[in-house]
Amino acid sequence: MSGKLTLAALARVFLRNGAFTFGGGDTTTASLQRELVANRGWLSEQQFGACYAVSRVTPGTNLLAFCTAAGWTLLGWRGALWGLLLASIPGAAFLMLMTGFYRAAISNPWLASAIHAALAAAVGVMLAAVWTLLRGPLRRTPARAAMVTVPALVLSVYGWASPLEVLALAAGFGLLAPKREAT
Amino acid sequence: MSFGLLYLLLLKATLISFSGLASLPVVRDELVLQYGVLSDGQLNAAVALARAAPGPFGGYVISVGYFVGGVAGGIAGWLALITPALLAIPLVHYVARRAAHPRARSVVDAIVMASAALILAATVPIATQALGNAALIVIAGASTLALAATALDTVWVMAAAAAAGLLAAWFGMPL
Repeated sequence: MSGKLTLAALARVFLRNGAFTFGGGDTTTASLQRELVANRGWLSEQQFGACYAVSRVTPGTNLLAFCTAAGWTLLGWRGALWGLLLASIPGAAFLMLMTGFYRAAISNPWLASAIHAALAAAVGVMLAAVWTLLRGPLRRTPARAAMVTVPALVLSVYGWASPLEVLALAAGFGLLAPKREAT
Repeated sequence: MSFGLLYLLLLKATLISFSGLASLPVVRDELVLQYGVLSDGQLNAAVALARAAPGPFGGYVISVGYFVGGVAGGIAGWLALITPALLAIPLVHYVARRAAHPRARSVVDAIVMASAALILAATVPIATQALGNAALIVIAGASTLALAATALDTVWVMAAAAAAGLLAAWFGMPL
């Protein structure tokens, strides 16, 4: 599936993901990876990687930095601004509403049940994003993919390195061991 | 507390953090301990609410702002949340100008793979917390399959899961 990249189409993607993706910034980033890279092909994997890395070294919330960087990469200032606003306004409005009624909101079994189910689906969103990001490198350069992903996973899961340090180590690996793809 | 001061205090917290809840100690120090305009209970509620809302967990500063100054405070929190993200523009502009170089492509390629590993690592605590019963595990599995095997948009999968949650609550078995 792909579609023409326009400001309105990009705005719709950011708005839908900002409004309906539960589970935090990592889930929303995974969801945007699916929509912008895998489904629509607006961002290449390399552009996604650059935006992801930039979002990690930008102070503040990684997700909003990612949306700003992705919007900028796709449509310049207008894309960055719409990405930032539309990825943050729905959640902000929802949060203010819930804060206003927080005692009722937290104890409402219907809302809690829907949110618990959405969070379970968020796990699926993240696993699918991992698969779509890794299937290309695993096919093209499997040994190189294993040399990067396995240590990165171990370092992250055991908390031996921060995400920033993991990305820095991967960047160092990429710098010292240039990719040699079969042609 | 004025809108401007609340914005600056929350901005200070978000500017010196690099992930969602890393700003929490600064927020507590400024608003709970120094200014006394927020209670620890409200701070805990803000974190819990942000986890139940769409968007980043760092959005808890919006709830914090709301507790301190109502809707205007919530807007101050939202502005403090989004302001640092603008710093991504010069950074990505700088990276993009060098992206064509083979060595730069190799670096970005390695970062893409590492980012997949980071997303997988981030899935572990979310899965541990979110998959508390068999029905939720089935929803997670079905979502993974639907997304891996089809080009379905994520939002539809999330909406279907939320609908299943509502349906379960309707039948008296909330998830």
